[in-house]
Amino acid sequence: MQATKDSFYVELRDRLTAVDPQRTITIDGATRPAIVVAENEPPTAGPPLCDALYLHWGAARPALPAAGTMMEMECVISYRTKGTEANAGLDRGRGLASLDTDVLAICLPPQTEKCDYSSGTAADLGSTIFWSLPVFSSLVNAPPYLGREVSVTVFFYPEVNQP
Amino acid sequence: MPETDIPISMVPGRGQALRRHADSYLRALGGRQITLRLADPSSGDTSSQLGITPPTSEDVQIAPAVVHVINPNDDGTRRLQVVLSAKALQPIADSYGVTDIATWLMQSQGVFYRGRLMPIREVTSNSFADVECLYFLTATE
Repeated sequence: MQATKDSFYVELRDRLTAVDPQRTITIDGATRPAIVVAENEPPTAGPPLCDALYLHWGAARPALPAAGTMMEMECVISYRTKGTEANAGLDRGRGLASLDTDVLAICLPPQTEKCDYSSGTAADLGSTIFWSLPVFSSLVNAPPYLGREVSVTVFFYPEVNQP
Repeated sequence: MPETDIPISMVPGRGQALRRHADSYLRALGGRQITLRLADPSSGDTSSQLGITPPTSEDVQIAPAVVHVINPNDDGTRRLQVVLSAKALQPIADSYGVTDIATWLMQSQGVFYRGRLMPIREVTSNSFADVECLYFLTATE
């Protein structure tokens, strides 16, 4: 299960770097692509940053209980923006649309190799994970922020000797 | 013009005088030492992003400081207010190349109180003549 989470994140991160290299954030002094797995951040982390994608892992269950061991796991990608000061926040909607576009772009194609990252380097596990097309929620307007959540269902085969 | 007629806003170094006064005030109140835990700059590599490599940190001692235990949160968790002297904090911040001390404090991992690391939730400051004199940190369990 952990390999699925890690592979999904790393693939989306690398795709974000390719499709929108300017979308970066700085956390703890390090500049990185603006995509974060919430559960991998320290408990003392501050509130979510603007203009960054946060991955929240949810429930997992058998995908087709009668047909095999394949499982599905929910992933919610949340993000928000308050626009730019130069435009007095009037570009909040455009900023959100830009984030929407990035999410659509990085979610396709909806599959990638599954790798084990527990040793610090990627070890190919010889299988793939795949996921549903993203489902976008309604806008969440909480001035000064404008945000959204996107749901994706990730499918994978658990490997008993994997963490 | 007699010196007493010079407006206070024109007295050079007036901010520094109040900063020294604030520092001596904290020392008079007991001037205890607190420990601030700072996260080292992240390497930003995949292992740290995946939660495999823990962030390293270092502890910095700051004195004088005054610690007030304030009303707990609604859920009963303890809250502290720590008052720090800007005069004492400035050279430490300078050694880290910090220009915005309030943000730097907010980005720290927290302060130690009775063996527990308490994250800082709010930082405010008291300034006079554009010179910071005191920093007020609110930390919670």
